[in-house]
Amino acid sequence: MAAASASVSAASSSDQAEQDALKGLTFQRLHPRAYLERFLAENVRPDGRDLDEWRDVSLIVGSISTADGSALVRLGSTTVVCGVKAEIAEPELDRPLEGFLVPNLDLPAICSPKFKPGPPTDEAQVLSDRLNDVLVSSAVVPTTSLVIEPGKAVWVLYVDATCINYDGNAFDATLLAMVAALKNTTLPKATYNEETGRTVCSRKVREPLQIGRTPTSFSFGIFDRAHLLADPTSFEEPLLDTTVSVVIDETGGLTSVMQLGLGLVGADDVLNKCVDVAQQCWRETRKGVYEAS
Amino acid sequence: MAQSNFDRRRINGPDESFQPTFESDDEGGSRWKVGDPRKGRMAQEIRPIFLQAGLINQANGSAYIETEKTKIACAVYGPRQSKTTVYNEKGRLNVEVKFAPFSCTRRRVPIRDAEDRSIAVQIQQALVPAVRLELLPKSTIDIFITVIENDGIEGCIAAGSAAASVALADAGIEMLGLVASCSAAIVGNEVWMDPIEEEGQIAAGSLVLAGLPALGTITSVWQTGSMSPDEAIKCMEACQKCCEDIHSVMAQSLLETAQNT
Repeated sequence: MAAASASVSAASSSDQAEQDALKGLTFQRLHPRAYLERFLAENVRPDGRDLDEWRDVSLIVGSISTADGSALVRLGSTTVVCGVKAEIAEPELDRPLEGFLVPNLDLPAICSPKFKPGPPTDEAQVLSDRLNDVLVSSAVVPTTSLVIEPGKAVWVLYVDATCINYDGNAFDATLLAMVAALKNTTLPKATYNEETGRTVCSRKVREPLQIGRTPTSFSFGIFDRAHLLADPTSFEEPLLDTTVSVVIDETGGLTSVMQLGLGLVGADDVLNKCVDVAQQCWRETRKGVYEAS
Repeated sequence: MAQSNFDRRRINGPDESFQPTFESDDEGGSRWKVGDPRKGRMAQEIRPIFLQAGLINQANGSAYIETEKTKIACAVYGPRQSKTTVYNEKGRLNVEVKFAPFSCTRRRVPIRDAEDRSIAVQIQQALVPAVRLELLPKSTIDIFITVIENDGIEGCIAAGSAAASVALADAGIEMLGLVASCSAAIVGNEVWMDPIEEEGQIAAGSLVLAGLPALGTITSVWQTGSMSPDEAIKCMEACQKCCEDIHSVMAQSLLETAQNT
């Protein structure tokens, strides 16, 4: 009898736990703002992190044999795969000594229920554009190093990133993946034949790319003009009024800062604080992230 | 060769760019001739499969499959409300396949083309008989498959069907059984199982078979190239046998996922 009643009470307590979990999920679905506010009142976030804590990053390079360079990044649950394909083209007429670097981020329907199949959504287009700005402004691969024959043949590096699982902060994860993939890329040695006008590559000799700076980015969000959240997840992202992204290169120096919305928490402007927090996080956790691969 | 379409929704490169061409004398004497044995495996061996369910937490169900150089991720969203206003008493199964631009030897433009759609149709044909759609009126089940690395289209279809089955099971959608799929090719006068891209190119014909090993039924057979009816029957029997092995791998991965959560 005692055993039976113990098992019944155990069953009812696990039932109770299940019911509580279901209530929690329903509350999260119906009132996301109130749900987040309740957590922030206790100075913690729904996934248990502190307000200025970043998720763990894992990076695997070189796993895709069909690409000239590749990287797979997991930032918490956000998973981004990036591959670099090199092709040969004629340079622009007014820039005969420059190759091309073409980054693109694809957010397909597989990664989140909010993306529908079809052409790139606004979010994907904006992220691709921002990534292009950062990669060009920080000269990760100087385009002058991509020349095979001035004015005749240059390398075009297509850096394509695909998100497999979107759990917020695709920008940080994708920048990490793109830079790591470029570091992993090797190009075949190409020789331009003057007479035929064709470029022929060697199967045996492959050279790594010349890498300039290796930037890392740190994104924040401001919720309700009251809380600064680092590395927002896909639940927190739609509730934020402002997002700030700080890009830091390998010397700890600032490369670029992007802010969308009013950067106020209470009455203070937090842009400088974001830069400081980002630099501190970089020193503590991300300094050697590209070296480990 | 990249076409000169200016896609205003993406960052564009130069108008035209070409895949690098390699020197021909670098190839060496490793061409295959009729009568040579298979390189790297026995003729009836399939490549080892790594299959894991539940990697994409945003989706209702998901699976990731890796067989040497073929890497495919699959996510299932559903059952969710149908977009159409027409009442359908059976649910709809919608499969979409996308190749990552870096997945093939030649860079693929991100625009979806006929090859993507034909693979999606083949996978849908393989899965539809197994899913109990009559229990889901007015609903749609969306299956999204992303090919991260591609080593042969037949291998892609087979692995995609397996990943989609496991993802459907992971999503908790009722099915009559797990769909396992395998491919075979006729090279010379031998049957080679699970051909890779190089082997598919030297083969005279190839066949992809999908079925429910638990019920002993076949859901889809696609044969391309030239083979005699006897060879086709031999391929189908060999594929059915391999499907049973693949089925146990799929069941094992689902069991591990269930035990770990």
